[in-house]
Amino acid sequence: MPPLPPTRQLIPLALAGLLATAIVAFIVVVLFMSWFSNPPFGWGNAPDQPIPFPHTVHAGAVEDGGHAIQCEFCHRNVTTGAAATVPAVEVCVICHKQINGANAKADVAEPETLINIQRVIDKHADGRPIDWERVHRMPDHVRFVHEAHLRFLTQGEERVVTLPVGNEEPMTLPVPVQEACTVCHGDVAHMEEVQPQDGQSLKMGTCLDCHRENNVSTDCTVCHK
Amino acid sequence: MPNAQFEHKWGMVADLDKCTGCQACVIACQAENNIPINTKDYFLQRRAYEWIRIERYWEGEYPNVKARFMPVLCQHCENAPCEPVCPVFATYHNEEGLNVQVYNRCVGTRYCINNCPYQVRMFNYWHPNWPARMENQLNPDVTVRTRGITEKCTFCVQRIRRGELKVESQGGNRLNDETIAGGNYDPACVQACPTNALMFGDLMDDNAAIKPYFDDVNAHPGHGEHDRETRGYRLLEEMATKPSVIYLKKVDQYPLPGKGGH
Repeated sequence: MPPLPPTRQLIPLALAGLLATAIVAFIVVVLFMSWFSNPPFGWGNAPDQPIPFPHTVHAGAVEDGGHAIQCEFCHRNVTTGAAATVPAVEVCVICHKQINGANAKADVAEPETLINIQRVIDKHADGRPIDWERVHRMPDHVRFVHEAHLRFLTQGEERVVTLPVGNEEPMTLPVPVQEACTVCHGDVAHMEEVQPQDGQSLKMGTCLDCHRENNVSTDCTVCHK
Repeated sequence: MPNAQFEHKWGMVADLDKCTGCQACVIACQAENNIPINTKDYFLQRRAYEWIRIERYWEGEYPNVKARFMPVLCQHCENAPCEPVCPVFATYHNEEGLNVQVYNRCVGTRYCINNCPYQVRMFNYWHPNWPARMENQLNPDVTVRTRGITEKCTFCVQRIRRGELKVESQGGNRLNDETIAGGNYDPACVQACPTNALMFGDLMDDNAAIKPYFDDVNAHPGHGEHDRETRGYRLLEEMATKPSVIYLKKVDQYPLPGKGGH
C-alpha cells in the first residue's frame, strides 16, 4: 500500500481530536447542568401539580387577597417531626366543604377555580389521595429534620443572628413560624406556584454555612445516616 | 470545633452468658437499617449483608457437644484499621466515638473491608431490592444504600440523633439514661434482645450500666485479663484496635469434661 500524502495522514489524528473535544464538551456541559440545575426538575421549574394549588390564595396576606392561613395549619407535622408533610385531602375539605362551587359567589371565583375545588371534593368523596408532586427534594442520603430547625428559629430567648441564607441581613430571633419557613423556602405565601429556585438551593454548602455560623455540629452523621 | 453537643462516647457490652443465639438482634437490625433480604445465594457467595451476626462455635465432640454463640457487630474501634486506608475519608471517627461510614463519599474501593479484622463491613454487590410492597416498610430515617458502596453497623446513629432531638425539644441538655428513661436511643439489636445480653450506653455518663465493665477492662489492658474483676474482654485485644464493644465471658455451669468453667 503506497503511503498516504502528508495531509491525508493527518485525517485520523484530526478525527481523534474532534472526538476528544466532543467528549470533553459533553462532560463539561453535563457537569455545568448538574451543578446549576435542581436535579429532578431541570432548571428549577416547579413540577405541574395534579390540581393547581395557589399558595397566594391560601397563605398570602389578607391585603393581597389571600387568607393568611398559617403554614403549620396544613403542613402540620413541621413543628413536631422530621417531615413537614403534605396535608391529607381531609385537611383541604375542612374548608372546602363550605368553600366550593355550590355556594360560591359567582363574582369572586372563576369557573376554573370552582372546577379545581370540585376535583378536591371528588377526591375526598372517593376516599383517594391527591398525588401531589414533590417540589423540594433532597437526595436519599440526606435526612433533614424540620422540627429542630424551626425550634431554633421560633423558640428560645431573643437574639440576633446573621444567617448565611436568604438576604443575609441580621435577623432577630425568635420569629413566627411563617417567617421561619421563608428563610429556606422563600416567600411561598406570594408564589402562585412554589418555585424551588426562589428559595435556597438546598445544596450542602448552604446547610454547612448556616451550621458553622451558628456553632451547630457539622459532623456527617447529623444529616447523613 | 469544640461543641457542647459532643459529650458522648458510645459503647456496648455483649454478655455471652446471656446470649442464646436466637438471632433476634440480626432480624431487628435488618428491619431497622433497611438491609436487603439475604437469600441462600448471598450466603453461599459469602456476600450476605449482616451488620450484626451471630457467630456459632462448637465445643467438644459428639455426643458431648455445646454450641457457643457470639454476636459480632462493628466494634467502633478507637484505633480503627478501616479508617486510615480509606482514600476518600468516607469512614472516619467522630467526636462521639462512632466509626462513621458516609455513604455518599464512598467510592467502593473495599480497602476498609479488607483491613477490618472483625469482618463486619459489607459491600453492596447488588442493587438493594425487596419484594414488591415491602418497600413501604423501609425505615425513613436510614439511607437505602446503593450498589457499589460499603456499609456497616452505625450503632443506630439515627436513634441517637432522634434521642438528642427529643431531649433538646423537652428542654433537657444532654442525652443519657436519665433524660430518656429506658434508653430509647438504644440500637435496634439492644432493644430486641430478649435476654438483655446486649447493653448500650454512654461511657461519659457516670451512671451508665456499661461503665464498670469498661473501667475494669481499661484498667487491665492487653493480656492482664486474669487481673480483671469482671468477665469483660475485647475481641482481638492483641491487635490494639481498642473496640468500643466489650464481651463478657460465658460462665459454664456444667462444663464439658476437661474444660474450664469459662
